[in-house]
Amino acid sequence: MAAGRDRGDLAARQLVFLLPEYLKDASKKMKTGLLFVKLVNPRSGEGSFYLFDMCLQQLFEVKVFKEKHRSWFINQSVQSGGLLHFATPVDPLFLLLHYLIKAGKEGKYQPLDQVVVDDMFPDCILLLKFPELEKSLRHVTEEKEVNSKKYYKYSTEKTLKWLVKKVNQTVAALKANNVTVGARVQSSAYFSGDQFSRDKEEDYVRYAHGLISDYIPKELSDDLSKSLKLPEPPASSPNPPSKKLKSSDEPVEAKEDYTKFNTKDLKTGKKNSKMTAAQKALAKVDKSGMKSIDAFFGAKNKKAGKI
Amino acid sequence: MDLSELERDNTGRCRLSSPVPAVCLKDPCALGVDEAGRGPVLGPMVYAICYCPLSRLSDLEALKVADSKTLTENERERLFAKMEEDGDFVGWALDILSPNLISTSMLGRVKYNLNSLSHDTAAGLIQYALDQGVKVTQVFVDTVGMPETYQARLQQRFPGVEVTVKAKADSLFPVVSAASIFAKVARDQAVKSWQFVESVQDLDSDYGSGYPNDPKTKAWLRKHVDPVFGFPQFVRFSWSTAQAILEKEAEGVTWEDSAAEEDPERPGTITSYFLSQGPQTCRPQVPHRYFQERGLEAANSL
Repeated sequence: MAAGRDRGDLAARQLVFLLPEYLKDASKKMKTGLLFVKLVNPRSGEGSFYLFDMCLQQLFEVKVFKEKHRSWFINQSVQSGGLLHFATPVDPLFLLLHYLIKAGKEGKYQPLDQVVVDDMFPDCILLLKFPELEKSLRHVTEEKEVNSKKYYKYSTEKTLKWLVKKVNQTVAALKANNVTVGARVQSSAYFSGDQFSRDKEEDYVRYAHGLISDYIPKELSDDLSKSLKLPEPPASSPNPPSKKLKSSDEPVEAKEDYTKFNTKDLKTGKKNSKMTAAQKALAKVDKSGMKSIDAFFGAKNKKAGKI
Repeated sequence: MDLSELERDNTGRCRLSSPVPAVCLKDPCALGVDEAGRGPVLGPMVYAICYCPLSRLSDLEALKVADSKTLTENERERLFAKMEEDGDFVGWALDILSPNLISTSMLGRVKYNLNSLSHDTAAGLIQYALDQGVKVTQVFVDTVGMPETYQARLQQRFPGVEVTVKAKADSLFPVVSAASIFAKVARDQAVKSWQFVESVQDLDSDYGSGYPNDPKTKAWLRKHVDPVFGFPQFVRFSWSTAQAILEKEAEGVTWEDSAAEEDPERPGTITSYFLSQGPQTCRPQVPHRYFQERGLEAANSL
């Protein structure tokens, strides 16, 4: 048994991946057809993993499902973490934009191989291998041809037009998939498609804008918001509210007199009212003489630390 | 006793019972409740009821049924056989609670402790007798925990019946003694012929009494720890004996309700907010709500 425990750390890590069906054939045809590469994440500017299909000349982003307290049982083994990886097609133009915008600040026409250069992520040259590259670059750049060589310059105007189209496509997809987009719904997991009919068009556009913003830099996202004529988000924004208070010149005064809540009765009363029905049921249970389950599963590491 | 039903599936609870003697349907009856296998870390807990008409209590006494703990295994078997023979006036019913059921009850999200489980099982058997048409007028119960509160609870549940809950009831009332014999015999048989759910190799059945203070039982437990799964289902995971061994020998597991878990997103100590940490780096933007709600993020490592 002890040997089994020691093996635990040595066991090869297993990844659970969800891949598009057609990649199965691609990898058969060409053994080296698929390549995991670390490329720049157009939103954060940091590195993220992408899957590049040399055969189909297609790019996939890798997303991970990660939740607390999950593990896999894979055949006769256990894989901790419970991660589920997804490889989903992504438009390489989003990644190219990162470089085009950077080069665009210099304001001149440049050949692509001078634009897409990255010391941190040298695999970025793969981005130049896509078959429809020239066609798709027209969405976001002005181009010039000199001596049959193409030169490009980033165009904010064209890019925004392209992004608005992307938002509209996303809105259509959101509707088709019955994604709940209303600001009042915090988690779509608890709601059925019935919510769908009640969501406003503006909610869809805002939601789609947010989704697209995950693939473009912040400044561009702000510009896109203006192009979409999205009003400032309402106070009850779906994003977690910032704890910072708005600074103002007026002196800050307490709006409520908290001392009047200082009586014991009110305090306890408030506490009880905050408990949900389930918590009440839990509190009522006779737990005498019982340990919680983690008492015998969880605390091992800490114990070891104490010794 | 035919335990084949238990052997088919011993992961939940299993009820066995005798046919109801005709006389018990019309004459007022006394009913005794007792249990066997409350303390062991191994094997099932058995609850038994035994009932007979008030007029035939002396016949039951004549059998010299006594507290099962004072009898040898052979004597218990003999008395058990005799009472089964006297099926024309003695009826019984059993509830066998598997160790797995005990573990899952006590370790569930909503904790259900052994006393509650015991009380509910006892009440369930009394209700079963009533449902079968047994004319129960008196119930005698060997106590689990405080007799006063237990009696009040049972009395409230069965208002038409005279309930007596007493410590050591198994040596005071013959119906309780008889019930204790049924429970004990059933428990012994169940343990002896236990069908392990797990297909574990070299699983030896030399586990001693099954009580936590038995060195043989402890040694058996320590020998049968799997680092991932812990013990076979024959073991009551909720026993502190079992938990202590798991803590030492098995891998750590954290559950949704593991309170001891360190939450990395929890705010640190208050002083950490005052210490300068160099230039405040911009907090990385959180992904869109769509991804957050689905627990998705970009893969930054593979």
